[in-house]
Amino acid sequence: MRKLLVELLVLVFCIGALWLLMSKINWMSVFRVEKATQNTEVKIGEMFWNMMKSSEKEINTPAILLPLDSILDQICSKNKIDRATIKFHLLHKEDINAFSLPDNHLVVFSGLVNECENESELAGVLCHELAHLKKKHIMNKLVKEFGLSILISASAGNGSSGTIREALKQLSSSAYDRKLESEADMTAVEYLMNAEIDPEPFANFLYRLSDKDKNLPTQLQWISNHPDSKDRAGKIIKSFRNRKIIKTPILGESNWKLLKKHLSDME
Amino acid sequence: MDYAAIHWIGFVELDLEYHERVMISVKEFQYLPDEHECEKASNSYLMSLIAIMGGFPLPIINLIATSVFFVANRKGTGFVKWHCTQALLSQLFILPLNSFGFWWTVSIIFGDKHISSNYIAYFLTVFILNLTEFVGTIYTAIATRKGKHVEWWFFGELTNLIFRSI
Repeated sequence: MRKLLVELLVLVFCIGALWLLMSKINWMSVFRVEKATQNTEVKIGEMFWNMMKSSEKEINTPAILLPLDSILDQICSKNKIDRATIKFHLLHKEDINAFSLPDNHLVVFSGLVNECENESELAGVLCHELAHLKKKHIMNKLVKEFGLSILISASAGNGSSGTIREALKQLSSSAYDRKLESEADMTAVEYLMNAEIDPEPFANFLYRLSDKDKNLPTQLQWISNHPDSKDRAGKIIKSFRNRKIIKTPILGESNWKLLKKHLSDME
Repeated sequence: MDYAAIHWIGFVELDLEYHERVMISVKEFQYLPDEHECEKASNSYLMSLIAIMGGFPLPIINLIATSVFFVANRKGTGFVKWHCTQALLSQLFILPLNSFGFWWTVSIIFGDKHISSNYIAYFLTVFILNLTEFVGTIYTAIATRKGKHVEWWFFGELTNLIFRSI
């Protein structure tokens, strides 16, 4: 019996040691997995953005972009996110929508900025989309819906435009699964707290839009694509209820109003 | 034959010898098995071989094959039953390792897990274990066919313990 136990221990120890030794090697760089994934993501992101750009009008007015950049800069710097890697795009479209594309493209429609009542609401949406980017939800969703082989083939220029259009539609007009949405919400709250932005307006925004949803179903894409918004708002409130919130305005009331005025002038 | 080839053959011989002494040992069975028994016992390892091939990507095959061994040979002679049990135990040992790797892979493809160095390390470890078992199984199948009684490290001892308690 003793011999048996010794042999079992030696066997388990050998297997454990083998795994431990193997784990010490950085296989991701040996097989260049990260580089290959990154290259595919860059190509797909570029492809999607080019398709989006060709059909929508991008806003490049400094008076509108600079205040939005300030909000994004504040969120990124306080959360140790390299701002230079985030490709922010503001599109002139009345739909209330914001979404992320592969390779850190963050797309916001002017309709969504118009709908926000203050900078904290907009910051909440930006943080939610940043969370999807940082948690790698976008590529995961694409791989799940379309398969890696189709994406690699599309990034190499062999994919049909129909497939690419369908993938873009999926990313811009449908939600991630409940677990990922919840993870993005909770991460967004952390980002907001770190950036000294009150997370409550973000919850209010979700709650307000879920009520409006009944009247304006087609334009409220961001909220209609994110089901159970009231539920989510409740969870967001719960997550920071007993925590101390530091609120430091980024733009301030007057600059926020000025930004909205510039946007309405464009309409 | 060049020096490298001679060196390689020498290494293989040494390696097998090492296996024979440490991992696998040839011992005497209680009686001398006849030709028919040797063939049946050897076949249990051949079935085990199929289980390893199918069980590495899809562990359920291991489970089915090992269960088939056990049911089919429970009324066999001592030598056949002993080797079927050793093959079954080795398969049962590798089953959870393969299953864990299988579900890890599934959660990467269909779930929200990411491919990582740890995953690749585990995959390679399991691959090496399956390969070792594969080589050991071929060796044992051949040896058993010749009437040799081969006992594996740990599994041989465990089989003896089971047979002693019956």
